[in-house]
Amino acid sequence: MLLTGSVDADGRTRPGRLVWRATPHRYFAIDGGSGAHLLAALAGRDPWLQPVASPRHATLLIVVEPISRALAPAVLELARALPRPARVLVVNGARADYVVQQSLISATELFPAVRRVEPSVELVHAAALDPAGWPLLTISESLIVAPDTVPLPLKRDRELATELAVLSLGPVQPFTAGPLRLVLICDGEQVLSAQVQANYARRGIAEAMHTVDWLMAANLAAQLDPLAPITCRIAYVQAVEQLQGRSPSPSVLRLRVAALALERARNYLCWLVRFTHAIDARRLASNAHSLATRLSDYVSRIAGESAVGIVSGSAASAPAGAALLAPLAEATRALRRQIDRDRLLALRTRGIGVLTRQQLEAAGVSGPTLDASKRGAGDIHARLCERLQVAADDLLGAMDAMTLGNADAALETDWHVPPGEARVSIAGPRGRIGLRLVSEGGDMPALVEWERPSAALLSLVPDLLAGQKLADAEAIVASLDLAMAEADG
Amino acid sequence: MNTLVTVMLVLFGLLVGAYVVALLERLLTLGLPHLNTAVVIPIAEVAALLRQEDLTPRGADVQLFRSAPLIALAAVALGALVIPIGPGLVGFDPPIGLFYFIVVLGPFAVAMMNAGWGQNGKEGLFGAFRAAAYLISYEVPLGFAAIGPVMAAESLSTTRIIAAQQSLWYAVWQPLGLALYLIAALFVTFRHPFDSAYAGSELEGGVLGEYSGPNLLLFKLALNTLFVLLMAMGVVLFLGGWQGPLLPPPVWFAIKTVALTALTLWGVRFAPRLRHDQMLSLAWKILLPASLINIVLVGILALIVPGGGA
Repeated sequence: MLLTGSVDADGRTRPGRLVWRATPHRYFAIDGGSGAHLLAALAGRDPWLQPVASPRHATLLIVVEPISRALAPAVLELARALPRPARVLVVNGARADYVVQQSLISATELFPAVRRVEPSVELVHAAALDPAGWPLLTISESLIVAPDTVPLPLKRDRELATELAVLSLGPVQPFTAGPLRLVLICDGEQVLSAQVQANYARRGIAEAMHTVDWLMAANLAAQLDPLAPITCRIAYVQAVEQLQGRSPSPSVLRLRVAALALERARNYLCWLVRFTHAIDARRLASNAHSLATRLSDYVSRIAGESAVGIVSGSAASAPAGAALLAPLAEATRALRRQIDRDRLLALRTRGIGVLTRQQLEAAGVSGPTLDASKRGAGDIHARLCERLQVAADDLLGAMDAMTLGNADAALETDWHVPPGEARVSIAGPRGRIGLRLVSEGGDMPALVEWERPSAALLSLVPDLLAGQKLADAEAIVASLDLAMAEADG
Repeated sequence: MNTLVTVMLVLFGLLVGAYVVALLERLLTLGLPHLNTAVVIPIAEVAALLRQEDLTPRGADVQLFRSAPLIALAAVALGALVIPIGPGLVGFDPPIGLFYFIVVLGPFAVAMMNAGWGQNGKEGLFGAFRAAAYLISYEVPLGFAAIGPVMAAESLSTTRIIAAQQSLWYAVWQPLGLALYLIAALFVTFRHPFDSAYAGSELEGGVLGEYSGPNLLLFKLALNTLFVLLMAMGVVLFLGGWQGPLLPPPVWFAIKTVALTALTLWGVRFAPRLRHDQMLSLAWKILLPASLINIVLVGILALIVPGGGA
């Protein structure tokens, strides 16, 4: 059992023949690790396209590549659970994926007939609403799912001890960005213990970076956390610059600051969409979706203008319309105030999932999760408020940096890297992403080691969930903002 | 023949009621500019679910699994018989109409239990036990909230309760009773934010997680009809039923039911889904004592003030 109680069906009926021109599509999404922003933007975008909690209720399976071989059995199992007629829409992975293809599987191997689209919200939205001419869902039978067993703790020696139940949440679930399996051993509604099974999004990015040249390694670096590619790429570029003894101009540095701030803010707002859906806070979800969409549209608009230049340290100019960020920052602050006052929301967030500063520092956690424990109670509510506060500050910071950044003379990108070792640490959306880069003067990096903030947080999850209520387990994990592609590497 | 006509009318009324609930839910989410979409989507969803395959999970108790949506719908249809929509326009008017109503809705929770138990999955089982716990917790405050109008009208007959509100609706002097009734009705109908029996993503659909196609449609229909039925009973108990000036009585009844449904759905949009134990605490620690206080207040008013507080 990977996700549903009984994926296989004994009884199957013939699909009906009733035809209705306007068809609502209910989709079940499988995020291989890079689709969280896209799926957050898709949820609530169109009333004709609705996400569902169970694959049995879906008419459409949206699969966001890359899909690791470890995740493939779960993907197949979910596809088998869909009632027919059903279709599969595959969202293409990044172009650099071919470098790490040994650990990945193409969706075409799982589903012989699929429709593919590029990773754009507009394209996915349009394709999902227009299934005319699509092939119907067919599943490859080559992969066989082996049943999993989980050892239960001994039944307590009490007359009234209840039977323990094992609930498997995931690996495909909506409360982390990417696949993670949580095995919860429950005594009724109480979680007794939790096991975490990760590596469903593992691609071996660091290892692959040893096998390619310096430029290609920059593309791979951006894939470490597909939700924060600018952070990862800037970390790599800074490390290379450190090895080369080169400093970018102050103008480029300012624009990098702006790009990082925008990326963090976007991540926080997209996370808020996921989180509010997890606890079904509908009005808040609607507000969060509106803010995330406005920022994503802005980021997409300026991406063509400046983003590549900003991160590679070459030509860069201040993107237009930076002043648009001020009302967005104010709206984010207003949302934070609303959350702070919301007593009903507090029922689901205050005093739940508390992480102490000592726990977090011992595990090497940084970023807003740690700050929420330093400045607040360290519970879900504190993490929620902290992220929104940082998002608002980042939006204003980005605006200032972009206003100050002027057009800069183009710098030649030089990928000749002398021998040496560089260490950099960049503040990303989930904490500090660290990189140790070693060069031996050759055409490719000799050693690449990443410090991944989600991986540090993941180690705390089992202890955090033990003793919690089942319904809180989901909210707690969602509040940590785990990016599984980054955690698995 | 009369019985057949009554049955057909009740079923038609319930179908329309379920559609109105679905429409209002979408309208509240999308906003008035999207009225056209809100009108069409529920019909399109019905068509889509009718086209879909109807799966039975491996190892399921087929009889329990398949009968559950039918039991749920039958319970609602039986309850609808005692709702008067106009003078003499009632399917069945026993002197204990309100008691009958509460009793025949009991099997709805049995249907939820059957659905969760019969699907051979742990998520469904968790959902089934949650549903059962809610039934026990919320039937009590629901019944106590409904006792206020019964005390004032000195009758369990739904038609007499309406007749007793000719001069003043009970909502005016029993606002606490109405509020308690609406909250308990949300619980009994498993609606947001009290829908963790089937909507929590930690249970992947819970009780409804394994249903697909026509059976899922039947269950959704039963949930919506149950909600509109409880809103209709709320109109009978607190808003004077079909009484009103100028318009025909059934139109007044429909307007009041839709208004109460819309108000309730609008109010709950602001809350996140409550946790299982929080719902039970709310029932036993707040709603139950409040409903007892309401009974005492109504009793005092009914005794002291001529005309029952009016």
